[in-house]
Amino acid sequence: MRDVRIISRLKPALSFAGLLLLTVIYLFVVDFKPTAFHIQTIINQAAVMAVMSTGAVFIFSLGSFDISLGMGAGVSVCLGIMAYNAGAGVLAMFMVCLAVGLAAGIINSTLSAVFKMPVFIMTMAMMAVLTAVLQILMNGRTSLRVPTEIAAPVKALDNVWLRLAFMVVFFIICAVLFNYTKIGKQNKIIGGNPKVAAQTGISVARQTIITFVISGMAVGIAAFLIITRSLSVSSETGTSLGMDVMMAIVFGGMPLSGGAYSKITAGVIGSFSMVLFSQILTMLGVSAGLSQVYKAVLFLLVVFVASFSYREKMLSRAEMF
Amino acid sequence: MGSNSQNSPALVEVRGLVKTFGVVTALNKVNIQVRQGEVLGLIGENGSGKSTVTSIIAGIQPPTSGEMFFKGRPWRPSSMTDALNSGVGMIVQESGVIAGITIAENIALGELGRFGKFGFLTKGQIIAEAAKALRSIGVDDIDPSLPAFTLDLQDRKIIEIAKVWAKQPEVFVVDETTTAVSQRGRGILYSLMKRQAAAGRSVIFISHDIEEVMNVCSRLTVLRDGNVIRSLEKEEFSLAAIKLLMIGRELQGDYYRSDYGVSRSEDVVLSARHLTGQSLNDLSLDLHRGEILGIGGMSHCGMHPLGKVLFGFLKPDGGEVVTGDGAHIKNVVTAMKHAIGYVSKDRDSEALVLRAPIRDNIVSAGLNKILKAWFFILPKDERAYSEKQVAGFQIKCYSDRQLVGQLSGGNKQKVVFGKWVGADSKIMILDCPTRGIDIGVKQAMYQLMYSLKKEGVSIIMISEELAELIGMSDRLLIMKDGRIAKEFERSETLTEAQIIDYMV
Repeated sequence: MRDVRIISRLKPALSFAGLLLLTVIYLFVVDFKPTAFHIQTIINQAAVMAVMSTGAVFIFSLGSFDISLGMGAGVSVCLGIMAYNAGAGVLAMFMVCLAVGLAAGIINSTLSAVFKMPVFIMTMAMMAVLTAVLQILMNGRTSLRVPTEIAAPVKALDNVWLRLAFMVVFFIICAVLFNYTKIGKQNKIIGGNPKVAAQTGISVARQTIITFVISGMAVGIAAFLIITRSLSVSSETGTSLGMDVMMAIVFGGMPLSGGAYSKITAGVIGSFSMVLFSQILTMLGVSAGLSQVYKAVLFLLVVFVASFSYREKMLSRAEMF
Repeated sequence: MGSNSQNSPALVEVRGLVKTFGVVTALNKVNIQVRQGEVLGLIGENGSGKSTVTSIIAGIQPPTSGEMFFKGRPWRPSSMTDALNSGVGMIVQESGVIAGITIAENIALGELGRFGKFGFLTKGQIIAEAAKALRSIGVDDIDPSLPAFTLDLQDRKIIEIAKVWAKQPEVFVVDETTTAVSQRGRGILYSLMKRQAAAGRSVIFISHDIEEVMNVCSRLTVLRDGNVIRSLEKEEFSLAAIKLLMIGRELQGDYYRSDYGVSRSEDVVLSARHLTGQSLNDLSLDLHRGEILGIGGMSHCGMHPLGKVLFGFLKPDGGEVVTGDGAHIKNVVTAMKHAIGYVSKDRDSEALVLRAPIRDNIVSAGLNKILKAWFFILPKDERAYSEKQVAGFQIKCYSDRQLVGQLSGGNKQKVVFGKWVGADSKIMILDCPTRGIDIGVKQAMYQLMYSLKKEGVSIIMISEELAELIGMSDRLLIMKDGRIAKEFERSETLTEAQIIDYMV
């Protein structure tokens, strides 16, 4: 019985150890002399992913997940750029990004709350819808850019400190909401057993909507950060991001089933791990296709380890004897 | 039954059986004999090892060490099906029934090969066989061609019984501790056990209910902490002696409450008016301050849904639930606002998050009580809140961070109580509060209910055990077909026999 507890405690430590290991390997690959450019690249990529996945932790804690997050970010980036190109300022662009992310989240959660559909199925349909929306908005173009003449105000925001600040502030807000308010506590109960939650006066519908508002904001912020960096959107934007976010959360030590042992740190730890892993592969000259394969293998391995300890937990049936 | 079984040869014998789970020893060199033509009762508190012994005999799990013999030959069943086909059949929990296939297919599971040519199955044959199996246990009102999910959990148990009985096992193992059996299922089991013993075959019967075991069994073996303490022949049976053997010490104080006066206030704290729907039929009742209102009946009489309707969890089609100050209970949130707590009969699936620590479970109903600045929750407040309940209820755990799923039935129930008492519930709706709990803890629960009552808490106790209803209630309502059939006031002379007539 006692070893079960160690396993459920071990997991966050395990993912932190994974991050440390990847850091050491990375340092080894760059001969222990990382340049400012190296560090900036890592932060630039990881911050976007960390914001999104920290928001997604709330969804995971319910025992559900949203696979449309990446596409939500894609549409958000696209509309943000279109708004900016149409003459809106940087702040308005940020608001558009945020609004799109929120709208996608609210639609997802309301539909699933009203029609009592499983969130996961809802978000699958939503992903198809968002992919179509992005294609319609792109109107046959392969990419859409902020024209160079008006790019200066956006380019001015392409700053590693700004991204880091966004990530840190967003993380702190989420950590407080998750660990020190009813929002996180009730989500964990729902993830643990929705029937118990309902019999404890916890409204699953309300929590689902709150959750998707938070993750929708995360999508909007991430979209804004993507624009400041790339100044463009393609029909591919967001497709891999959704998967990366899921991998990051699982790698970061989030239990697949959500519930009591959900960790708000999973998004940040996992994002930095995933980015380091990709960087290591790039530095070693592994081709893009092959790195995707390695990533997938790593994901399977992580899921295996995670579900292994999950099974152990389920087997802890003290009532058997 | 089976009084001549005393000198019969052993049908099953286990010698030096040991079973360990990690560092925990569930069975410590256990020796048990099951004779031909006897009903052997296994009795002991939760964790005494009685379910473990039978699950090993029935092939559910292998022993760590030790020997087993069946009809004098070494016995090592590789699975439950193997054991059943060789003559040892065990009634397991209702989860043994697969909901998505028909009742007939469930009964035929494991022997489908017998039907039809070339392994093809004729539906008609399977259904006919199943109907025969059901008739053989005296059931003719269940249509075996229906999917199993059309049955409730208690009727699914009947399917389990038919499935095992159809195989005519030589050793029939009945574990009643894992799940509540309906009156009807119980009746069926009793008659099958009699038939089994009369035919010179054997029964192993496990139950928490000492009186039931004394009535049904011809011999019993008491286990405690994985050890066989003693075996008693029928003529040695006595309630006090068995209790003492089970818990290894004498119970202090009363089992139920000892007072027989009417001790409730006239203030009504909760009323149900003309509730209809959810298996209720124009039901009205009043609960008074400081009253223990017992509600009994057959398991399908509507008393279990009634608890959920009173708590606002199920909506009735008609009628209303109103508190003493006139507030309508429309949902769980309004119920909790008016200090109502509800303990579900299905503890593991509806009352507790098993994969969460004790602390999270206890605090879950009282988060509003520890809010700082109307929004924030500090870990130290959570901890103080939960540790107060853990200490108050003497929950056995190494810390309140321990997973609830690892606790015994009694301690789990204490966590549920702690969850609602912590939230300052003034009205507690308890559905089968002592189900699956052994007597030591049961007594503690009764004493607790009594002390809550004395503090002015009003309690609705829904139960399938008449003894505890009689022992604890100020007033007892007997339900039948969704309505109240009879009301009894607390009395020293009230007996089960007086009540049963109104139930059926």
